[in-house]
Amino acid sequence: MVFSFFSNEQPFSLMLLTSRIILGKNWENTTIKLEGAFQVKRFRKWIRVEPGNASIPEELHAENEENAELTLDLNQNEMTFRDIFENCSDINFRKICLDGQEKQLVIYLATLVNEELIDDHILRPILDNAIISAGSTKQSSNVNEIVRQLLDGHAAILTGTDNKAVLVKANGVKQRSLEEPSSEPVIRGPRDGFIENISTNIGLLRARLKTPRLKMEAVTIGSLSQTQVVLSYITGVATETLIDEVRERVKRIRIDAILDSGYIEEFIEDLPYSPFPQVHSSERPDVVTAELLEGKIAILVDNSPFVLMVPMTFWTGLQASEDYYVRWPIATFVRWIRFLFIFIAIFAPSLYVAVTTFHQEMIPTNLVLSIASSREAVPFPAMFEALSMEIVFEALREAGIRLPKQIGQAISIVGALVIGQAAVQAGIISAPVVIIVSITGIATFAIPRYNFASGIRLLRFPILFLAGTLGLYGIVLGFLCIVLHVASLRSFGVPYLAPLGPITVTSLKDILIRVPIWARGPRPLATGNSDSVREQAGQKPSPFREGREGN
Amino acid sequence: MKPFLRICLILSIFMTSGCWDRTEINDLAFITGTAFDLTDNGKYLLSLQFAIPSSSQNGGSGGQQQKFFVLSATGKNANEAFEKIQKKNSRKLFTAHRSVILIGESLGRQGINDLLDVFSHDPRQRLKTYIMLVKGGEARKVLQTRYPFDQLPMEAVKEMESQQTEIATSLRDFFMAASSPGIYPIVGVIEADSEGSNPSKNNVFKLGGSAVFKDLKLVGLLDGNETDGLNWARGHMKDGRINAELVDGKGNVGMVVTHANRMIKTDLQGDRIQFKIILHGKGTLIENNTDLDVSLPKNLTLVQDALEKSAEKQIHVAVNKLQKQFKADAIGLGRELYRDKPNDWKLIRNEWDQNFAEADVTVDVTLTIGGFGMVGPPLQLNEEGIKK
Repeated sequence: MVFSFFSNEQPFSLMLLTSRIILGKNWENTTIKLEGAFQVKRFRKWIRVEPGNASIPEELHAENEENAELTLDLNQNEMTFRDIFENCSDINFRKICLDGQEKQLVIYLATLVNEELIDDHILRPILDNAIISAGSTKQSSNVNEIVRQLLDGHAAILTGTDNKAVLVKANGVKQRSLEEPSSEPVIRGPRDGFIENISTNIGLLRARLKTPRLKMEAVTIGSLSQTQVVLSYITGVATETLIDEVRERVKRIRIDAILDSGYIEEFIEDLPYSPFPQVHSSERPDVVTAELLEGKIAILVDNSPFVLMVPMTFWTGLQASEDYYVRWPIATFVRWIRFLFIFIAIFAPSLYVAVTTFHQEMIPTNLVLSIASSREAVPFPAMFEALSMEIVFEALREAGIRLPKQIGQAISIVGALVIGQAAVQAGIISAPVVIIVSITGIATFAIPRYNFASGIRLLRFPILFLAGTLGLYGIVLGFLCIVLHVASLRSFGVPYLAPLGPITVTSLKDILIRVPIWARGPRPLATGNSDSVREQAGQKPSPFREGREGN
Repeated sequence: MKPFLRICLILSIFMTSGCWDRTEINDLAFITGTAFDLTDNGKYLLSLQFAIPSSSQNGGSGGQQQKFFVLSATGKNANEAFEKIQKKNSRKLFTAHRSVILIGESLGRQGINDLLDVFSHDPRQRLKTYIMLVKGGEARKVLQTRYPFDQLPMEAVKEMESQQTEIATSLRDFFMAASSPGIYPIVGVIEADSEGSNPSKNNVFKLGGSAVFKDLKLVGLLDGNETDGLNWARGHMKDGRINAELVDGKGNVGMVVTHANRMIKTDLQGDRIQFKIILHGKGTLIENNTDLDVSLPKNLTLVQDALEKSAEKQIHVAVNKLQKQFKADAIGLGRELYRDKPNDWKLIRNEWDQNFAEADVTVDVTLTIGGFGMVGPPLQLNEEGIKK
């Protein structure tokens, strides 16, 4: 095994070496011709991180080496399974002898099944010589298959007369009840959220879209975890190419275990180094349903309440589900507030630093004097001051999340006292910086998508650094970098800024403003263009409508 | 490790090449006002007023804190004096927040040509800064005045200037007027004034009148009344007040002008140059110290006539003074002529000062009283005393 690994690598690295030599020769030729382009290329090469030799681990079949089949001998079968499940204390073998001769063996993992169900619908019918009255059954003779089903919460019934086992679904893992998702609370709107059980989650979606066109494609990922991953989409609304792409990317994943949908997200995103998330995730079934109706694809992962949706755009990060449940003028206003706050969240501390250290002439005289007077006692440069406050704020936020709820309050009191008052009075931090940092903090929390807001929060620090060294020029530089990056970003083939990036005027109705539901028109062009009609036109409500007598 | 090192190297570009003009806000000395005076030996005396950003930690308990201080230095030009003051100051002088430049009267009479250029080169010297002449005494005295209202005295001057009732000349206006043909710049006049029982401590200053510059030399001052007239003639009247005695001597009336419109008609007949200044004003009556019931149209016409006469007289006085005494066209009549009849202007522009002094200027004022307030006759008079 080890030997083969080495022998595999050597030719590869040799090839790399030779290709480098060839490349190097080419470079020398091009230097004369294209000086500028070459410099950029060389710079890129210089900065690039060489990818390590990726070695995909082989799939391990620890349970069973061979493709074994069941035999007619019940005792031998039992021995096979006892071998496989050696040292597994929760496996149950229930042998039933009827009339002293006909034996039946029921195998199940007690921790995975509902034992009441086994008693009522498997054991009792067997004893009564009746038919097994469970809903979902199948037959198999493959040992591997039976083992997999056992681990999935099935009970296997082996008989002495047949070399086939009957597999009865008897799932009974305890689930948490449907609660309002704590990461996306709403004032108005449905209050159910996804849980850790995938069949419940699928049920929540099915309850909202009662059509056979809602497809659920199951994929199993994870050599050890065998996690069920379901791709969900509406046929006719989602484009075929997109479905193929998602399917292909999900099936590509080779890993031992998937513990949360976050694992999947990192495997399928387009640009892993971007601070902007390219996969949307939500705990709310209504959000997922709305996205499905726009032609997007949802990826449900077992044991994770977060459902992924692709493709994601920049604007999804600024839309909350409640936008669609409150009346449209209010939703539009709130949306604009978010547009404003995303700028504040990135640029407020850096603008303060740039203006107070480089461009004092831009501040009104009275304000500049009051800022100067509050900075009189402060020994640090403004950039250091802002940076340290931002870091302290981040620490407070993080501590507030991780701490048990009972201590969380203490943290917020300490934070408010230490930072809000004591630091200012001690002359370590000036009061305007405290104000700026608090406004920035509020602005970050005003962004409704948590993972999107985290990316925004991260961008604040490089911009702050640029502002502290280059002033407003640095901020403009940073802003340009962000805009260029976002404009070039794509999520599953859809431009991140769509429909504003490449502009499609009809789709802007749901981006810059939130038009009334009756005026939405067709589905967004970027994703849902195959079956674009979503509502009949001309449904604007009014008391005097043709064909209806006045109310 | 290598890519990490490379990223660090790139970041160090910002650290090494950036920051070069970084100044913390508390390392700056904010100049709020500048004064220029003439010393006895012919040098310039530059005085700068600095704001003291008071630390808020012990605010209130420390009692009356000094809000500003003044430093002075002499030099043969502004730059030299500025450099000398910088040497006296621990913080970097910062001119962008200066609101007023004051010029002493004696310096004004000698000419300010050598001072002005320094304000136009550095981008941190704002052209929006007001320029004013200090009447009588040193300009430095005004800088040292403690003004009780605002934190900084020069902020107070800025506020007073922006009230629009006075002549408010910024450096930009001054440069424009000084460089264009057919008009001479005027600047506002400020003087130190003591008010209250303790004249040494809480001095105030007052704005009054204007100063006329000719070839960048002060030629004379106009008092408040004449300045109002000049403002009318220049078409800069925004919030003016007119008072008038009635013809039959039965008391006076006052109005506030809210809209004013000026037109100048030029006419050349042989050697005679004729200007007709036509003014249309709109406003409301705010004072009526007569026994007339101004709610009646015929009485209102009477009042209107008296006010028009008064305004005409006011303008005439100002124009006369400019023509006969200063021989300086601060109204911009020459500019009007230049715009109207550019060919004729070319012929006379070299001796414009003389021509201006001899020109015929007639004034025609039309006032419309849009409202007479809440009452017609004065409320304190009884029914019989009111003239209908």
